[in-house]
Amino acid sequence: MELKKTHIYRYHADHGNIVDFGGYAMPVWYEGIQAEHRAVREGCGIFDTSHMGRTWAEGPDTVRFLNYLVTNDVSKLEPYGGLYSVMCKPGGGIVDDLITYMFTPERFLVVYNAGNRDKDFKWMKKNSKDFQVKLTDVSDGVAMIAVQGPKAVEVLQKITKEDVSKIERFHIGEVTVGGEKCLAARTGYTGEDGFEVFVLDSPVDKPDKALKVWDALLGAGAVPCGLGARDSLRMEAGLWLYGNDIDESINPLEAGLRWTVKFKKEGYFIGQKALLKAREEGVHKTLVGIMLEERGIPRHGYEVLSVEEKDIGVITSGGMSPTLNVGIAMAYLPPEFGELGTPVLVRIRKNLVKGKVVKHRPFYDETVYGWKRDKK
Amino acid sequence: MTDEYKVEDGLYYTKEHEWAKKLGGSMVAVGIDDYAQGQLHEIVYVELPSVDAEVAQGAALGAVESVKAVSDMYSPVGGKVVEVNEALLDSPEKINEDPYGEGWIAKLESGSLDADLGKLMDAKAYRAFLKSL
Repeated sequence: MELKKTHIYRYHADHGNIVDFGGYAMPVWYEGIQAEHRAVREGCGIFDTSHMGRTWAEGPDTVRFLNYLVTNDVSKLEPYGGLYSVMCKPGGGIVDDLITYMFTPERFLVVYNAGNRDKDFKWMKKNSKDFQVKLTDVSDGVAMIAVQGPKAVEVLQKITKEDVSKIERFHIGEVTVGGEKCLAARTGYTGEDGFEVFVLDSPVDKPDKALKVWDALLGAGAVPCGLGARDSLRMEAGLWLYGNDIDESINPLEAGLRWTVKFKKEGYFIGQKALLKAREEGVHKTLVGIMLEERGIPRHGYEVLSVEEKDIGVITSGGMSPTLNVGIAMAYLPPEFGELGTPVLVRIRKNLVKGKVVKHRPFYDETVYGWKRDKK
Repeated sequence: MTDEYKVEDGLYYTKEHEWAKKLGGSMVAVGIDDYAQGQLHEIVYVELPSVDAEVAQGAALGAVESVKAVSDMYSPVGGKVVEVNEALLDSPEKINEDPYGEGWIAKLESGSLDADLGKLMDAKAYRAFLKSL
């Protein structure tokens, strides 16, 4: 099957190393994963995220519909506010994680994972039947570029008419970037300050506007970054990757996403009953961060053992942290192993490598790295 | 595409892209070649064998890891590990920079050196093999 191409494909083909990512031809790196990773922690990097899903939800019942669909409380949003949430199956398993942005109470933008584009849209459509809400999938009509790093404001400002620093964290604004009409959300998947820029009215088969914005960002000093750095950055920030760390067999209470579940909000939401039950009974596993204390790279699928060498879990995401230069991982372990400092072992081929349970959202020191560092 | 990779004359190569270099007597140095390091790209970790370990030709000798991938390394010759390149623990990128020099992985003492090397490709044959990939 031929790989699908995003708006920025022409640039990737000329400059990047392309891989199949969920059916999309995406760059894994341009110059190198570690240099791109550092560019985002120290300066500003840009990522093509046009493979992600984007849907407009519009109509008089939009708030009620979204509050039925997701676990967080959408009714608390003000215009131009964004909210991270998950949507669950009736049994509590996670269909996807997503961000909803309110423009008016009757118009929201919903942004979700690339690998779930078809599944999510069908799920939203199916569950919208009893509501007056119109869903329009605009993933192929709107490009998406993430601008991330401590210098993201500086870089984006060079090519934007409006004052981008006025857009607060987890808010969205209407802006003109490189002469094109865009939306810019102060969000991202790296742990750093930055924006996700939506290039409006930019069809994937006529991507001139999207490429123009991409080129303008490069001209303003941004470093192009591929999916390799995107993964190592999100891992250091302790952010979930759907398909690795969360899926339909995991509920948000197990995944450390209890804070996105608002049991007391108005009206029923899908999965509420199952999640209430899970809350009463307590969880059998919990997502923890692990940092190795010896050399080695923990990876997806590797076993985690107690110091008595009993199997206790499996790594869902792991790798070498370029910032900390140490192996880091996330794994589901029984709750009794969740306490920070608990010693564990990771089986790496024939060796058992020592590690311990650590704070993992994020793994790094927030006074030194990440979007909070300037606000000490 | 494969022309861009350096194949050093005088070495012996495997289809899994390891090399072996005669050091005199029964001693041999082994490593991974320019093609292998290029495929892995940024190498961030090397799992070295233990000194004194006995390995058979083609048996696992260690592993080389990039940010995204793990690649097992198989011993191009059978023998006993007499020295490992510990500098790689702190500077695994030496394999990227100089795969046939500072990026050597281990030195082995082989009792069957000529027979084992006879089963490998010389530089000319290996260049032809790379072209066929």
